[in-house]
Amino acid sequence: MADTTGKSKKRRRADDGAPELPFKKNLKPDSAILETLKSLQKSTIAAASSSSSKPKSLSELALTAACREVTDQSPDSVQSNIEGVILSLARSIIAGNGFSFNVPSRAATNQLYVPELDRIVLKDKNTLRPFANNSSVRKATITTKILSLIHQLCLKNIHVTKRDLFYTDVKLFQDQTQSDAVLDDVSCVLGCTRSSLNVVAAEKGVVVGRLVFSDDGDMIDCTKMGIGGKAIPPNIDRVGDMQSDALFILLVEKDAAYMRLAEDRFYNRFPCIIVTAKGQPDVATRLFLRKMKMELKLPVLALVDSDPYGLKILSVYGCGSKNMSYDSANLTTPDIKWLGVRPSDLDKYKIPEQCRLPMTEQDIKTGKDLLEEDFVKKNPAWVEELTLMVKTKQKAEIQALSSFGFQYLSEVYLPLKLQQQDWI
Amino acid sequence: METGGSSESPAEPKKGRSRAPKKAAESLLKQKSPAEFFAENKNIAGFDNPGKSLYTTVRELVENSLDSAESISELPVVEITIEEIGKSKFNSMIGLIDRERVDAALYDDYETAKERERRLAKEARAQEIQARNAASGKKVKEQSAGKGMKGRGEGSFYRVTCKDNGKGMPHDDIPNMFGRVLSGTKYGLKQTRGKFGLGAKMALIWSKMSTGLPIEISSSMKGQTYMTFCRLDIDIHRNVPHVHVHEKRKNDNKWHGAEIQVVIEGNWTTYRSKILHYMRQMAVITPYAQFLFRFISETSDKNVTIKFARRTEVMPPVPLETKHHPSSVDILLIKRLIAETSKQNLLQFLQHEFVNIGKSHAERLIGEMGSEFSAKMPVKSLTDQQIVRIHQLFRQAKFDDPTGDCLSPAGEYNLRLGIIKELHPDMVATYSGSAQVFEGHPFIVEAGVSVGGKDVKQGLNIFRFANRIPLLFEQGADVVTRTALKRINWGTYKINQTQDKIGVFVSIVSTKIPFKGTGKEYIGDDIKEIATAVKSAIQQCCNQLKSKIIKKLQAREQQERKRNIGRYIPDASAAIYDVLQAMTQLHASKKRRYNEEDTDLVSKVASRSITTATLKEKLSEHVARVDYEMALEYATQSGVSEEPREDVYIQALEPAAADGKKFLDFHSPTFVFRLVC
Repeated sequence: MADTTGKSKKRRRADDGAPELPFKKNLKPDSAILETLKSLQKSTIAAASSSSSKPKSLSELALTAACREVTDQSPDSVQSNIEGVILSLARSIIAGNGFSFNVPSRAATNQLYVPELDRIVLKDKNTLRPFANNSSVRKATITTKILSLIHQLCLKNIHVTKRDLFYTDVKLFQDQTQSDAVLDDVSCVLGCTRSSLNVVAAEKGVVVGRLVFSDDGDMIDCTKMGIGGKAIPPNIDRVGDMQSDALFILLVEKDAAYMRLAEDRFYNRFPCIIVTAKGQPDVATRLFLRKMKMELKLPVLALVDSDPYGLKILSVYGCGSKNMSYDSANLTTPDIKWLGVRPSDLDKYKIPEQCRLPMTEQDIKTGKDLLEEDFVKKNPAWVEELTLMVKTKQKAEIQALSSFGFQYLSEVYLPLKLQQQDWI
Repeated sequence: METGGSSESPAEPKKGRSRAPKKAAESLLKQKSPAEFFAENKNIAGFDNPGKSLYTTVRELVENSLDSAESISELPVVEITIEEIGKSKFNSMIGLIDRERVDAALYDDYETAKERERRLAKEARAQEIQARNAASGKKVKEQSAGKGMKGRGEGSFYRVTCKDNGKGMPHDDIPNMFGRVLSGTKYGLKQTRGKFGLGAKMALIWSKMSTGLPIEISSSMKGQTYMTFCRLDIDIHRNVPHVHVHEKRKNDNKWHGAEIQVVIEGNWTTYRSKILHYMRQMAVITPYAQFLFRFISETSDKNVTIKFARRTEVMPPVPLETKHHPSSVDILLIKRLIAETSKQNLLQFLQHEFVNIGKSHAERLIGEMGSEFSAKMPVKSLTDQQIVRIHQLFRQAKFDDPTGDCLSPAGEYNLRLGIIKELHPDMVATYSGSAQVFEGHPFIVEAGVSVGGKDVKQGLNIFRFANRIPLLFEQGADVVTRTALKRINWGTYKINQTQDKIGVFVSIVSTKIPFKGTGKEYIGDDIKEIATAVKSAIQQCCNQLKSKIIKKLQAREQQERKRNIGRYIPDASAAIYDVLQAMTQLHASKKRRYNEEDTDLVSKVASRSITTATLKEKLSEHVARVDYEMALEYATQSGVSEEPREDVYIQALEPAAADGKKFLDFHSPTFVFRLVC
């Protein structure tokens, strides 16, 4: 399929319409591709309106196992919740019984994938965290400290980052992972989302493209944010008034691919919104994506690496992470399509051998484990792709496409994918 | 390495080697006597430099003494003395007059005026820095007090004396035992410390090379009425002894054993620690021996006297001489065995000159050899080709492994005692493996692992023994070091490889230790059988320790629990109190309503009848109570722990009133109390 006559012009820029880019001649005019995208958007909207009959919350499902979910709460109610907990602790101490927390377990065994909801939820197993025990004294103390700090935040109604929180008592927390973990525990104990605790993570995700929204009252036009795009606000409460003329949302795993698309103004050729969280997604990006999906009713297409971790990241957007499954209702975005780079693309697009990497033992193990996961099994096409990956023992990053030229991704690969409606 | 004659008549190596080499002078073909060869390549025997030579001399003499005492099942008593001999004393010994230096610039350590200036300036600077450091309270390594400006000729000389209570030597054999290299009593196939008959002779060659002084031997055998005194040196070119004095003297106090005295060049300063380590490790592996080590210096403050006392009277059995295993012999060895055997026919030869070949087995082997072989054929009539055929069959046929009966391992008891005696560890575990085989030679691996102790540095301390002698050099490549460092996962046994003071003792005994390199200093890591045996022996020890360590850790955790939890009381109570306090303010400003019970609590906080101190106190009380309950539970669960009892060795009482001292003995059936008046 590859054009062999263009060898002498190898060095010419791709946007000259140089014919040497493989598969380029398969491309139809952009207008044709736009048509297919429009039909995709229509079907998504139709699906969204028809699926309103589908059960949306846990309570509506008759599940055998009891599950736990958290809700958004106002600072005032979080505050009174904390006070209630603290008062009971104080009473217990004064009665001479020490104190102890009953914390929902977030271990893997306490997670459940609910196919009807297409996301992971937390079961109701609890672990006791008594103060007068050598192994739990640390965590119990950190939990009281975090509770007291959150109480202050709610009182003053201000937001701080997780890092701020950690620095209030570095000596006690020792390292940030400890205070972060307890923060999630506190969310579970109080039954509120982590955002309601007034603690946010540092900005990580960025968005660019055909999107206009308000951030704390200021209108942001994401087509006019330069190449870097707009950082996704850590506090989703500030975000509102979303408007867009995009036909789809493009979710990108990596910063490098995101930059390529932003610089080539891919969103102007095919109206879309491009989002990335630069690797594993943070809470803010997941909330933002969900909000876009819910308000704009756009299809979401994902561009991730062709390795087990790419699929894992995709699953975190789609079904939630185990660590934060208690809030999966707010954090997950349903119906994300896997556009690329898929294991079958490696041969289909004749990606050269030198750009493919052999999978390590660890990769293969992760891949096999993923095949056992329910959220993969529910989609036979995904199972097929993943099986192929484990069988060929090859992986490739999005950047492997650059072997045909840096702009191959935005010039040929994505348009062709869209034209062929090649998503699963 | 060998002279031409030796391969022809392996049975009588002495004759072949001692033949005068000078006859061949006119042709270019030269011959060397073994003594000459070893004099030129003395590093092979561990005489690399003066320091190492001193170490090796001590080592060879001590090992000979131990072998000698053990061969007559006598508990060894070894006295070793190193006496420093100053230059002038040495000169007077050899009858040389001390001469002053006349032409100073002739010498290597001559310092020109310029150099002297530079050195003084440098010293002044160094002093200044030191003073500054001292003033600022910095701790600096003490500077080594100026390098001794020793010229090459300025060697140090030592008289090494080793006295034992061993077998002694027959009067007539003494000259040949010391003055002829590669003659010895230890050539048979058995586990011995020495092997090549080289040690004492090398010391003599070295003394001849460095000082020119002869060796002095006093010896007496059990039951002899006289004592032999012999002073001799060696004719290196002819490999024959050169006897100065050889006479019988009176032996008054029925002493038997040997005393050997040799004056050599050495270096005590650099090899002091090696020699002391050697003695210490020797004491570990032979706790049934008594060692007295003395270093006598010209300046008395450097004198060292260490007595390694006997801790047990249990001695390992004398190693037995064994026959060769068919899979370990080569063609030359078969020829030698044929020449030496008293058996007439092939069947008897196979049956009696090798281990693990029974009569029926021998018959089957002969049948397999081919038609020209028969059981009744005279063994001495075998042709070279036929011998090769026998050798081939020995290589290919299957034989039972040799047993370890001929070996004499130190024994778990002795190893354990030695470790406890010398290191005083907190815990120790020992293990003795069963005999295994490498290339037809049986070997036994014994291991001990200790944790803690005095004078033990943190991390792994490896002690290696081969045929019950300590190995000190070339530790890095040794199979024991490699195994302990790389193949043992100490963490699984709750031992911290970098923090804990770990002692690893591995003793390997065999009829043939597969040493690597020229000096017999380490066993290679490439022998799978030995590496596996070493690993499993160490692991067995660790497994024994693991349960002890876990018990200890639990007990410690129990102790530290209260303190650990106590640390968090202020943080926890402060956090809770902060919230309560914030609530009182909210309550006061009527921003929030609480139910009755809570209101009560909040107002108590407001009135300061409940403060952080109250919370702290209540929490501490609770922790203490839980602690007490847990301690009770722990005690009921584990019960009174009983350590396994260990035998204590007490020296037997001297018969009373021998030297006029008065004793009063109280006898009971199991013990005696002796009161010394």
